[in-house]
Amino acid sequence: MREGTPVFRSRTTAWLLLVPTLVILVIFLYYPAAQSFVLSMYRSNLILGTRKFIGLDNFRELFTGLLAPMYRQVVLQSIVFSAAVVILGLAISMAFAMLANQKVTGARFYRLLLIWPFALSPAIAGTIFSFLFNPQVGAVNHFLRMTLGIAPRWLDNPILAFSLVVGAAIWKELGYNIVFYLAALQNIPGELNEAAAIDGANAWQRFRSVTLPLLSPMTFFLVFTNVAYAFFEVFGLIDILTKGGPVGPSALHLDNAGLTTTMIYRMYQDGFGGTGSLGFAGAQGVVLLFLVAGITVLQFRYGGRNVHYGGGS
Amino acid sequence: MKRLTIVISLLALLVGTAYAQTKIDFFEAFSGPRQQWIQDRANEWNKQNPNYEVVVTPKSSYRDTLNSAILAARQGNPPALVQIFEVGSQQAKDSGLFVPVGSIPGAFDTSDYIKPVLDYYTIDGTVNSIPFNSSNAVMYVNNALMTKAGLDPKNPPKTYSGIIKACDALRAAGDTTDSCITFALHSWFFEQWMAEQNAPMANNGNGRDGRATQVLLTSQPALNIVNWIKELNDKGYYTYTGKLEDWNGSEAIFLQGQSMFHIDSTSEVNTITKAGKDGGWIATTAELPIADGADRAGVVIGGASVWIMKGVPADVQQAARSFIEYMTNTDNMISWHKLTGYFPVRISSINKLDQAGWFRDNPNYAVAFNQLLQTKSSTATAGALMGPYPQIRTIIEEAIQKVLNGASVDSAMNQAEQLANQALQQYNSNF
Amino acid sequence: MATRTASARQRRPKTRWLIHLLLIVSCLVVTGPILFALIKATQPTTQVISASLIPGAQLWHNVSNAWVQADLGIYMRNSFIIAFAVTFGKTLFSLMAGMALVYFRIPFKPVVFGFILLTLMMPTQVLIVGLFDLVSKQAPPTWQALFSWIAHPLAPTPYGFNWSNSYWAIIVPFLASATGVFLFRQHFMSIPLSLADAAKIDGAGPLRFLMSILVPMSTNTIGALAVIQFVYVWNQYLWPLVIIRRTDRQVVQVGLNLIISQGQDTDWGLVMAGAIVALIPPLIVFMLLQEQFMRGFALSSEK
Repeated sequence: MREGTPVFRSRTTAWLLLVPTLVILVIFLYYPAAQSFVLSMYRSNLILGTRKFIGLDNFRELFTGLLAPMYRQVVLQSIVFSAAVVILGLAISMAFAMLANQKVTGARFYRLLLIWPFALSPAIAGTIFSFLFNPQVGAVNHFLRMTLGIAPRWLDNPILAFSLVVGAAIWKELGYNIVFYLAALQNIPGELNEAAAIDGANAWQRFRSVTLPLLSPMTFFLVFTNVAYAFFEVFGLIDILTKGGPVGPSALHLDNAGLTTTMIYRMYQDGFGGTGSLGFAGAQGVVLLFLVAGITVLQFRYGGRNVHYGGGS
Repeated sequence: MKRLTIVISLLALLVGTAYAQTKIDFFEAFSGPRQQWIQDRANEWNKQNPNYEVVVTPKSSYRDTLNSAILAARQGNPPALVQIFEVGSQQAKDSGLFVPVGSIPGAFDTSDYIKPVLDYYTIDGTVNSIPFNSSNAVMYVNNALMTKAGLDPKNPPKTYSGIIKACDALRAAGDTTDSCITFALHSWFFEQWMAEQNAPMANNGNGRDGRATQVLLTSQPALNIVNWIKELNDKGYYTYTGKLEDWNGSEAIFLQGQSMFHIDSTSEVNTITKAGKDGGWIATTAELPIADGADRAGVVIGGASVWIMKGVPADVQQAARSFIEYMTNTDNMISWHKLTGYFPVRISSINKLDQAGWFRDNPNYAVAFNQLLQTKSSTATAGALMGPYPQIRTIIEEAIQKVLNGASVDSAMNQAEQLANQALQQYNSNF
Repeated sequence: MATRTASARQRRPKTRWLIHLLLIVSCLVVTGPILFALIKATQPTTQVISASLIPGAQLWHNVSNAWVQADLGIYMRNSFIIAFAVTFGKTLFSLMAGMALVYFRIPFKPVVFGFILLTLMMPTQVLIVGLFDLVSKQAPPTWQALFSWIAHPLAPTPYGFNWSNSYWAIIVPFLASATGVFLFRQHFMSIPLSLADAAKIDGAGPLRFLMSILVPMSTNTIGALAVIQFVYVWNQYLWPLVIIRRTDRQVVQVGLNLIISQGQDTDWGLVMAGAIVALIPPLIVFMLLQEQFMRGFALSSEK
């Protein structure tokens, strides 16, 4: 096999080529990952500069301590948030991509309009949405005031705030998803659909039996990049739009944390948002590392040799 | 000092090389006109002191200012001057990274500072930092809405029940504004209302006799406050932006005429008075409304003071202190007061303002100021000292937010007290 | 039957209009908010907070105000420096590592490759806690200190690189990429081996082989990786927020939030202008390299 017949023999050159990558990965990924585990066993105070070994107390606090209800809620809403962003986002993106793939006049133009927000960042999405939905001066409430005479407090009401963050997160990712769906759709031979049509399949049946299966490797790939996006990248959007708030309704026991606080946002708040409890944040980092590991294992297990093509490291 | 400066500058001239000016880094938390004011004072001082250059570095918030300074110091590059909010005082002291202003060689005269301010920044008998921007909480009143509600703008309600009655009247008058009262969801107001009831926030003499070990969030005075906020909220009289500590957001609601009452810092007197005048609805200030039956014990100083860091050369520390003394001198405190509404922290400034008839001509500034002067000196009004105070603030704010979302006052405050006590215990275990 | 086939190929006008309508709606959904931001960025301050959606003539005024007074220019400069440095460095290092993994004989090659791939499980956002001390703490003062640090890798980081507030902090940790190495490795393995052999017979060394054969044959992969990395770095938020604490070193994404919270009232016209300006560079890179991006992707997804 070709693995057995490399072209060059010089080991020195080989290592020279590999060293930059390996050194950086060891120092800036492996070491900090190990440090997350180490720090999770300390109680540290950024301002006092103190560090005290406390074993697994940070994890106890997370899972059984006074803050456990908070963390349970944060984990739960992170999962609900991700599920909403991934499912709704991919459904909408797929629909838009299929529309743009129709052979109509001006298709190229439509396609261009649909994919150019590929490069949009969560922070920019958050910025635009925080103005659009500003309760006082935002365009949405201007419009609602004129038509319905109402001015919802988008960032005050927990349900509205959560929906708004989900909506903004989905919107931000539309361009990205559509790009990939369009690429996949353009690889589907048109004859397949026509053959199905000849067999008497209607549009929905053709979608179910031809398009959807052919799109599934891409959907699979996008599910994982979108999960990663919803868990981690969305941070900037939340930080600008809601800062993790507001707390949910007490009747549903969702009042232990801001309803838009995701796991990564809570980790940031604890580690860097004032109190500087790096150890407590480190413990949350460890939980997240296990989560990522779990997701990656799932991906390799079921994805076969599917390409990992996300932003990421 | 002056002579020393002259000698040094002469020496510098003699050597004839381009001696770099020694930089005095100043981390502060203001932006906009306030930052500009500080920058102007720095420019003036720099001109008089050519060997030094005060470099003003604005940070996004009080919390960020303190964290950035600590980080910079731990990285061996401390700024000389740091503006630290009142509740950061204990932490700043505990960090061991700051030097008490009085212990820097050279005279530092504290006799000109007003007492409540000086009291706050005195810990264990030493003055740690130089008072700069001090404020307390007042109520701003939209006079047009008061009139509309059939109430006398000159006689605003002074108690919790009074506020609710006024709000009833506004609603009865068919008002359609978003709400009746707005204030940022900020623990600072809670602290002010505790002080007004002469109730300490923490045990051990509000943390001033020894390290606080208990936060008193389930005391009757504490419950009075939260019950009132709950009642306001349940009746649809209270509004805020949904974000914690969103000063600007609540102020915007009031400035747009969407609320009859607004509780805010005295540092907004200038902004709000002007906006009320421009808008034609006239904003006046009133005493902070307090719990029914309370004695009006007074308010706690809020705001910030300026600290000097260790790890900078002694001459820079001295120069840094002389800059802050310049920035907070009699005339500068007057201009600062007029620009913002922050108290002039010097007795000489107050006298001068008084002689010029300032408080008589500007009752909006006077109301806020009298509130401070009438404060009775006690452990409760001296303000609490707690290491993790910033964290406890968040805990209190989240508890109130829970109540606004339907939780019972008792359970929310009980839980908050447990969390706050745990934070104290974890912090204290460092010593 | 026959009519069905016809309708599948050539749609009835009614269906066609419906598709146009739906496409217009979807384009509005996707681009609407950006269009809104663009319009607001052109309006004078008094109009920005009104309901008006009529473009004004103040675009330049808003942009230049944001650029100078709100430090947008500084944020943009910082983002440019970082994005270019990381994109270039990461592509180069990935190219080198990919080449080593395919064209060289290395002991334990699968282990080395696995070691690189494993870092896919370590997103930087999750590592900020561990990374923070490492990047921000003071450098070890003596050699002994350095050795004792290395000797105790599982103690909490005692020293670091002292890079907070410097570009290094947001460049160096991102110069290596498992994704990049993986992509290049896959791509090189699809290049016929005869080419490499031919080069070797010609007597080309590894460097010449890289420059005159591999790079020209990898433009699609390079383009795809460059787009992804540029956009990724340009859009970074959390790490710069944590490690950079001086406005004159901050990146534009975090800078936007600083512009929002600047002063008493948010000047939304300025903010929208900032958002639009911040969106342009990655957009240009994407548009320029779009073809390579799509092809580079199609190629590797076949694997």
